[in-house]
Amino acid sequence: MNYTFQYGVVWRDFDVLIDGALLTFQLGVMSFWGGALIGLFCAAVKTYGQRVFGILVDFYVVFITNTPALIQIYFLYFGLPEIGIRWSGELCVVIGLTLNAGAYLTLIMRAGFLSVRRTELEAAETIGMSRLQQIRFVIVPHIAKTIYPALANFFIVILVMGTSIGAIIGVDELTGQAINLSTVNYRWLEYFTIAALMYVVLTFIASIGLALLGRWAFRVKAKVF
Amino acid sequence: MPHLAVEDLRASYGALEVLRGISFSVEKGELVALVGPSGSGKSTVLRVLMALNPPSSGRVQIDDISIDYGKSGSVRAARDRMAVVFQQYNLFQNMNVMDNVTLAPRKIKKWPVAEVEENARALLAKVGLTDKHDAYPDELSGGQQQRVAIARALALKPEILLLDEVTSALDPELVNEVLDTIGELAADGMTMILVSHEMGFVREVASRVIMMDAGEIIETGTPAELFDAPKSQRAKQFFSKVLRH
Ligand SMILES: Nc1ncnc2c1ncn2[C@@H]1O[C@H](COP(=O)(O)OP(=O)(O)OP(=O)(O)O)[C@@H](O)[C@H]1O
Ligand SMILES: [Mg+2]
Repeated sequence: MNYTFQYGVVWRDFDVLIDGALLTFQLGVMSFWGGALIGLFCAAVKTYGQRVFGILVDFYVVFITNTPALIQIYFLYFGLPEIGIRWSGELCVVIGLTLNAGAYLTLIMRAGFLSVRRTELEAAETIGMSRLQQIRFVIVPHIAKTIYPALANFFIVILVMGTSIGAIIGVDELTGQAINLSTVNYRWLEYFTIAALMYVVLTFIASIGLALLGRWAFRVKAKVF
Repeated sequence: MPHLAVEDLRASYGALEVLRGISFSVEKGELVALVGPSGSGKSTVLRVLMALNPPSSGRVQIDDISIDYGKSGSVRAARDRMAVVFQQYNLFQNMNVMDNVTLAPRKIKKWPVAEVEENARALLAKVGLTDKHDAYPDELSGGQQQRVAIARALALKPEILLLDEVTSALDPELVNEVLDTIGELAADGMTMILVSHEMGFVREVASRVIMMDAGEIIETGTPAELFDAPKSQRAKQFFSKVLRH
């Protein structure tokens, strides 16, 4: 037990960690919104589309939710080059996490589709709204409001747990940068405590941002903690 | 030529035929009341007219336009000319009063915003909700919500307004404010079909009453004719029950 913490080195590399945190944030945001679009589309298909397409959606959801995100991203990064498709690590993380989030968000949003009051949709229909307009003006706001906590939680999951998989295929997001720096001077404990704190700060900022967005756009009385 | 003509209208839920050949007509500016026991098919008539349920056969004509409920263009024409308010409050919960009223004219009809908003303000004033523009449905009483729903329906400038038991989910003390609104619309010459159990109100405002039972029209006449001297046995039974108190 004679380990001496030396935060001096770590402070020197602080901006490198900040870069990693920014990349983490970008990857998380892109994957979440990409996944939200896929989830909305798939939930709409399951609700209104023909049965065949609904079954295709089921396959997608079951396949993704029953395999680890790590394997999915490995497949994109190491598997696809075998057939001549070579994507950067960042792109593999974004695409992999987007597909992953899309499957979970399909389930979450499907619950939202099913819980809209039928009378509200009929009112929308009788005042001349098309199916797409009903989704846009009635269903999406309803989903955003009623399952807001589930969506916000899921964003945090993607942001913290999802993106860190990137480290394994050499993406310099926060975890990746912490690993890169530690392997140079072995200050593992220092780098990783700082990285952990940065994750907490990121999550905190994201939660506040989401809560404000929810209050402003959807009148959700979202709590930050 | 009547404003709205319905001829031999039939509709089913699965194997159950709930409208078994309904024929009636409505003149411009008339308020026709649709009464009858629970399950007789009153709501279904309105739902078929608004294309929420498909008819299995029959003809619906508005002025000289014949409505083909199998064709989307024709359905649009029906929904352009008619608007409906149902018993359950069906306002958009995620929008405030003003947005509820202006959404369809702005986003679906694409009418000029200034005109739409001016019209909406006038309508909300008419239903007595000038001070509630920014309120959300869950901040309103049931009676207020129904009045917003009426304003929302009128914002599309329908020629015929269909009202399906708009007061029956309301607390008794809120019923009158909604009936007053309907009474004013009738006085303004709005053509309406009113499904209602408020027989006193029907007697006051309806020009004609249609009594339905088991998917058929039993009797038609002025309120006085039906209420005071029903001809058929079934009408006698029904009115003796609903008019007793
Ligand atoms: N969604 C449905 N599925 C199956 N049957 C239905 C459905 N809606 C109504 N029905 C049946 O259709 C018949 C007519 O119903 P409708 O709602 O038109 O009656 P109503 O005259 O409006 O009654 P109430 O005064 O109770 O509102 C009833 O026998 C009812 O059970
Ligand atoms: Mg009914």
